[in-house]
Amino acid sequence: MKDHEPDAYPQPPKRTPVAEKETALPNPALIGSKLFYYSVDLPVTKFREIIDSIRGRNKYYYYHQNFRRVPDLTECVEGDYLCYYEAEMQWRRDFKVDQEIVKIMQERLRACQTREGPSYLQNCSNELKQFDEVAKAFDARYGDLGAFASGRRCLMKQKQRMLEQQQQA
Amino acid sequence: MVGMSVLWSAAALAARLNPLKRSVPVGTLLSGSALRTEKAVVRYGSHGKRMFIIKPSDYYDRRFLHLLKFYTLLTGIPVAIFITFVNVFIGEAELAEIPEGYEPDYWEYYKHPITRWIARNLLDDPAKDYEKMMALVHMEQEKAQMRLLQLEVRRHMRQKGDGPWFQHETLDKSLIDYEPKASPDN
Repeated sequence: MKDHEPDAYPQPPKRTPVAEKETALPNPALIGSKLFYYSVDLPVTKFREIIDSIRGRNKYYYYHQNFRRVPDLTECVEGDYLCYYEAEMQWRRDFKVDQEIVKIMQERLRACQTREGPSYLQNCSNELKQFDEVAKAFDARYGDLGAFASGRRCLMKQKQRMLEQQQQA
Repeated sequence: MVGMSVLWSAAALAARLNPLKRSVPVGTLLSGSALRTEKAVVRYGSHGKRMFIIKPSDYYDRRFLHLLKFYTLLTGIPVAIFITFVNVFIGEAELAEIPEGYEPDYWEYYKHPITRWIARNLLDDPAKDYEKMMALVHMEQEKAQMRLLQLEVRRHMRQKGDGPWFQHETLDKSLIDYEPKASPDN
């Protein structure tokens, strides 16, 4: 008796087999796809290629600016308004960066939900967890500061947080 | 009597609505009864009977909307064409890593070509703006320090009295005439 029967578990075909037409009727799906291709897809692609060829002649770049770190509000001597100003600007830049981070996490979760469809609660648990952490952290740090948010007010909020932690512990 | 009046009104109605009579009798305009107009079956080659529709004048409204459209499109269309040409022929910048040892100019941190042009020609370098604000803050800080210092100095000079402030001019001591009290017997 052979110990290996290759036909029992056949390998899947490496290429999609060409479907053979069994009826004489025209295939409406094929007609529809060809219609869409010639009326919408092809003109749009050609237009895009033309525009890209025009634009591609003079390429130029833009960069993300790297800012140096300056001493924080906690490291400023009292009455040194220059130090206050630099710390405030740095805080504002960090605030913007944190907002963008939250947006990126939202984008990831949205993409995951679009991919998975109705079963997103189960399949994108990683993204859900990450977004949850990031949103909670953002809320804890910048939560109810309001429209006149400032580095000083954020520092005071942090002080309140630390006092509460101390009281709980 | 009531039956007679009912019969009478029924007879009058029947006489009026008699289909054998002519359709438009002469006295019907002034009679308060219901007229029965005959519908003539006419097929028009155009859109139907021309009606003079009575409604309030829309001349002013239409004139306003026409002028609004005209004046917005007067500069709107050239601006739209300009922006389209900029986007098609010049195109936006691409994001790249800052190469080693290269310091990008301050307008090279923006993507759209028009923004870059504005940043390059119309606005100041953001670092320069930062420094301007720092200069203002520094001047205000110096003013505040000077004011506090002046108050402190005032306090000291008033209390101790040996400084140049709060000195009042008095007469020269050599002008005092001690003659009335010069001898004990006066």
